[in-house]
Amino acid sequence: MNQSALPIQPSESNQTRRTGIVQILKKHLWGYLFLLPALLLFAIFLWLPIIKGFVYSFYHIDFVKGNTFVGWDNYKTVFDDPDVGKSIRNTLYYMGLALVMGFWVPIVFSIAISEIRRFQGFFRVAAYLPNVIPVVVLYGLWRWFYDSVGPINAGITKVFGGEGIAFMTDTKWSMISIVFMETWQQFGSAMLLYLAAVLSIPRDWYEAAEIDGAGVWMRIRHITLPSVKGLIVLMLLLQLIGTSQGFQAQLAMLDGGPMNATLTYSLLIVKYATTRLELGVASAMGVLMFMVLSVLAVIQFRLQSKGDN
Amino acid sequence: MRKLMTATAVLALSATMLAACSGGGDKDNTKDTANTEPTKTETATTTDEGTKTDATAQPSAEDELLNKKITISIYYPLPDQVENRKLEDDKIRRFNEKYPNVTIEKSDWHYNVNEIGVKMAANEAPTFFNTFATEAKFLIERGWAADITDLWNKYEFKDQINPTLQNQFIIDGKVYGVVQKGYSTSTVVNKKLLDAKNVAIPSYDWTWDDMLKTAKAAADPGKGVSGIALMGKGNESGWNWTNFLFEAGGQIINTEGGKVKAAFNSEAGVKALQLYEQLRWDANAIPKDWALGWGDAVGAFSQGRTAMVVAGAEGPLEQALNQGGMKPEDVLTYPMPAAEAGGKHYGILGGDYLVINPNASKEEQEMAFRYITFDYFTDDWLVSVEKDIQARKAEGKYFIPPQMNYFKEDSDYGKKANAIFNKYDNVYKYAAESNALLDGQPEAQYNTQDYYAEMTNVVQQVFSKKGVDHKAKLDEAAKIMQEKFYDKIEVK
Repeated sequence: MNQSALPIQPSESNQTRRTGIVQILKKHLWGYLFLLPALLLFAIFLWLPIIKGFVYSFYHIDFVKGNTFVGWDNYKTVFDDPDVGKSIRNTLYYMGLALVMGFWVPIVFSIAISEIRRFQGFFRVAAYLPNVIPVVVLYGLWRWFYDSVGPINAGITKVFGGEGIAFMTDTKWSMISIVFMETWQQFGSAMLLYLAAVLSIPRDWYEAAEIDGAGVWMRIRHITLPSVKGLIVLMLLLQLIGTSQGFQAQLAMLDGGPMNATLTYSLLIVKYATTRLELGVASAMGVLMFMVLSVLAVIQFRLQSKGDN
Repeated sequence: MRKLMTATAVLALSATMLAACSGGGDKDNTKDTANTEPTKTETATTTDEGTKTDATAQPSAEDELLNKKITISIYYPLPDQVENRKLEDDKIRRFNEKYPNVTIEKSDWHYNVNEIGVKMAANEAPTFFNTFATEAKFLIERGWAADITDLWNKYEFKDQINPTLQNQFIIDGKVYGVVQKGYSTSTVVNKKLLDAKNVAIPSYDWTWDDMLKTAKAAADPGKGVSGIALMGKGNESGWNWTNFLFEAGGQIINTEGGKVKAAFNSEAGVKALQLYEQLRWDANAIPKDWALGWGDAVGAFSQGRTAMVVAGAEGPLEQALNQGGMKPEDVLTYPMPAAEAGGKHYGILGGDYLVINPNASKEEQEMAFRYITFDYFTDDWLVSVEKDIQARKAEGKYFIPPQMNYFKEDSDYGKKANAIFNKYDNVYKYAAESNALLDGQPEAQYNTQDYYAEMTNVVQQVFSKKGVDHKAKLDEAAKIMQEKFYDKIEVK
């Protein structure tokens, strides 16, 4: 008997499932409707570009004459370009520097400010203030700070003599200088999060520890840090994700130089996309980065879920 | 009922967001819509002196374009260019008097090599937009500049346009843009700074050796003052250096048998790098923080932190006189120095051009062409510019005329314009002796920006480390350019 000739009847389980979906939709209709604007925004500005990025990575993009399918050519270009290797090394170096130079700063400040009894509000605002400086002003300001006759070099030459440091043009210093500037600008927002977590630790724990003879360092080590451990791990992952995509200061202050010393992976993507107009290659680089960052995002998500539980 | 209202509100919100996501762009919202009665006639009348007097000109009755409603979006000055906006508004008014059927939309998007691709892809570029001499081949190859040869051939003043500048946008006999103004890259010198340090002012017919001596004598590194702010960041660094390559007799590329070959790794290239080495290490004449882009270097000049800067003269002059508070007599415009006495003062030829969007309809393209050339060779423009000079004088500001105009300087129109410039003391005067020595060299037509980026890397190596092997570094850069770009080009 030819079964395919029979009309296909929806199975009972399928019908039940469909009814269930309809019931859920009916029950939560308003919730879904309220979600709609956000879903549209995400679809247009996030999911669609991500999907298009994947598609474009297999095309030579020419918006006027039309796109051409090129298979794996864009990926081949990425793997053949020596600048890609250099940019990955620079990005890892940048991420590492940001951890070493900047990650602990907001933690220390938050603990210090939490201990302050008077003018705490003032210090909070003062620490956050660099965050609100427009980046164009920030870069101009720090170019002057780093100038050969700027205040930092003036201090260095006064104390140590010599010619000062070429913060921007010495390849040993250029990335360090950028990370230092960014730490100064950005630590305030992370500090506020840490501060909120530190202030939520019950005070009687500290009092009990003090009665037991614990000093400041012991209290920090055995009460404060374990209490904010979850937040520290989360911020670590967010920082790794954020710095792995860093390019703004490198582009604005040094355009990736000197001698590509500050050419990060994201900056190279920007250069491929905008200066060289190789949007297919830029998309391929974006896809590769997406894959790496997805791993970090999954870890972050899992840790967050663990924390919530 | 409440549920229905809420649902409607949610859907309306979603629809609003969708609407907000579409359209938009850089177009200025203001539209100059004229009334649409096509009554007047076209074609400007021409005076005996070869000047249009279009305030009185009437379009001809048979002009088909007058019977059609046409909208063009135009390249409009940025919000901070108040005086230029006034000039443009006046032009729009006069244009609409003659072409009442044309609606003009103002677009304050200004050409940017990093944005043009997106603009064309989104069909958001205005009907015509500005660009630079470097971009001709780039725009034409991608089909982003309309072929306006027919319009050009019909243009009555085409023979009076400065051919050196216009030829940058005539490729294989086809016309793709209209020149506005141009320059030959120059060295702008802070005379006041040299005088203050008792440094002899070199003659306009100067050499690399004179530049080196002047830069060394003017530099005061301890005070953060350099002799010359050579650019060391971004593609402009490679662009700056290429001037010296030309002066030494070098070229960026050669084309042989339909193939493009890198040529900048020549003896001339080595000589040009040696000069950079001397300026950096022997004379200690460039800024210690040499990671300077165009804006940084020109900014340093206008702040009196460097004695010389290599650029198209108009930009540094505008900043030095109108923002840096310098006086015209404090700032001298030199041709680029010759490599040796008696040599050529080559400087890269640059300029501003207007290009018509190929996505525009033929009628829009023609109307855009008419708009672009509307003020060319007219008395109206001379009146406008004189008013602008007077307004600047009242504000204590200076007018910087282009180093090279779209019209020939020795034409009747050129003489009329110069007569106006000479009337006012707040108009910057280029020295005739200097102008006579200018020798503009066009840039390479293939992968120019990639070449500049590669050369920037080499320049940075010379600035970073003393005694770099110049020939080896140039050969490395040439190999990269050859394999990555030039080998893929077939010259037709």
